[in-house]
Amino acid sequence: MNMNHSSHTGIGTARTSSSLAIATSSATTSSWVSSSGKRIQREMMELNTDPPPDCSAGPKGDNLYHWISTFIGPPGTPYEDGIFFLDIIFPSEYPFEPPKVVFKTRIFNCNVDSSGNVHLGILKDGWSPALTITKVLLAIKSIFTNPDPYNALVPGIAHLYLADRTKHDDLAAEWTLRFAK
Amino acid sequence: MAKEEHKKQPDLAQNGENLFSPRFKSVAAMAGWDEEAILVASLVVEDTPDRNKVKKRSDLQFKTPPSTNSRRKRRAHRRSPISIPILVLDLDEKETAKEESEQKKVVEIEEKKKIRENELKSQDSVVSCSNPALPCMDKLREELSCAICLEICFEPSTTPCGHSFCKKCLRSAADKCGKRCPKCRQLISNGRSCKVNTVLWNTIQLLFPQEVEARKAAGALNSREAESDSNIRPSPSSSNRRDVSVRRRRGLSSNQDDNDAALAERLQREDLGRLVGRDGSTTTRRRRGAPALSQNEDAALALRLQREEFMGAFRETSGISGNSLTLARANLRAMASRAINIRARGRAV
Repeated sequence: MNMNHSSHTGIGTARTSSSLAIATSSATTSSWVSSSGKRIQREMMELNTDPPPDCSAGPKGDNLYHWISTFIGPPGTPYEDGIFFLDIIFPSEYPFEPPKVVFKTRIFNCNVDSSGNVHLGILKDGWSPALTITKVLLAIKSIFTNPDPYNALVPGIAHLYLADRTKHDDLAAEWTLRFAK
Repeated sequence: MAKEEHKKQPDLAQNGENLFSPRFKSVAAMAGWDEEAILVASLVVEDTPDRNKVKKRSDLQFKTPPSTNSRRKRRAHRRSPISIPILVLDLDEKETAKEESEQKKVVEIEEKKKIRENELKSQDSVVSCSNPALPCMDKLREELSCAICLEICFEPSTTPCGHSFCKKCLRSAADKCGKRCPKCRQLISNGRSCKVNTVLWNTIQLLFPQEVEARKAAGALNSREAESDSNIRPSPSSSNRRDVSVRRRRGLSSNQDDNDAALAERLQREDLGRLVGRDGSTTTRRRRGAPALSQNEDAALALRLQREEFMGAFRETSGISGNSLTLARANLRAMASRAINIRARGRAV
């Protein structure tokens, strides 16, 4: 009887401590999620109250960490009147890690590769937790108006941009007409 | 005139005896006032309450302890019609001054009302304004919020370059994004040694008490969790178990994990009950062909660790002989393999 009792207590402690270990580890991860979620919610409110011109962004569905963004090609560029869709995925460590931005609409731009990856300093090494999605959107907007051929993702387009700007612009306009309208 | 006054004096004195308590009189005498002076003063007070202050002051300023008739005369002289108008003039001046001050007060009140109205208007325009005292609250909120969590700075810490963030946010930023200021990218000497900017923190606590309280409550919850976490750590095999649980979490969803753990525990308990009851008759069940599935390796490891811990507890509490210890070990091994088998069967079905 005595043995029975002791064995039960032994298991009891083992169980409680192990379940606690699981609970705390999940709690710490969930607290991180919630802090990043809080920040994303705040950014969403900020975007709604003061949206940047010619672009919009918001959660795709119920998932707060998966956003969809729309850009309208700025006038005076070969992307004029095109509508470009982008996916924005926030990591769980946001804002300590940059969001992932991918063009869903094809675009002829030396800073965007064929699979839609964007080359932007602030989305990689240049990321800072003090940056917000609004600033990211503004940086993406600058890709439309001023592509950066010196930090290009597609060297061919960058070469064309530097060597023959008119041809580059014609091609970009053609792509815009084909994919973004 | 002086005579008349003299005639009146006894009456006044009699009245005075009724009017003043002996104590008051003694005090007045100590101050150098005779009864008449007190009486005259009191009469003046009764007649014209507005004048009494002026009168008294003049008495105090110009009077030395009265002892002779000449004093009385002088007093009478002062009360003569010539002197009174002057006083009246003084009072008039005072009254006009009072009126002016009253007018000013009215103007001030009106101004205050206007200001309040303006404040109310500004409040209406700015809905999120929490404190009506400051119409610039929204700007303050913006200024005093942390660029990392976008909330009001909680225990703000200021970098050498002059930017302030929540202490926690700054620490995490230094840990995860390198030791650079999130705002201006200047090098922060050491993110670990960041100190709370007390002036800023006190200001924030005064300006945004609600937000600070909310954050404090959340922080208390977190710290409680951390405490329980640290309580678990010291136990001998828990670090191993943590690693295992991490490994398991990678492979399986936490829900499944919990189910697995619960199942394992149930099985353990059942087996132990049997073990204790039959005392060694379960040896036949030992190592009932357990081809550990690769998927279950992690779970098996966790089980073994749990078993070891249980064994430790068992040894401590009951102190059984080496023979039965080996027996129990064997049984436990059998138990674990059985658990795996059952689970494997359950999954196959």
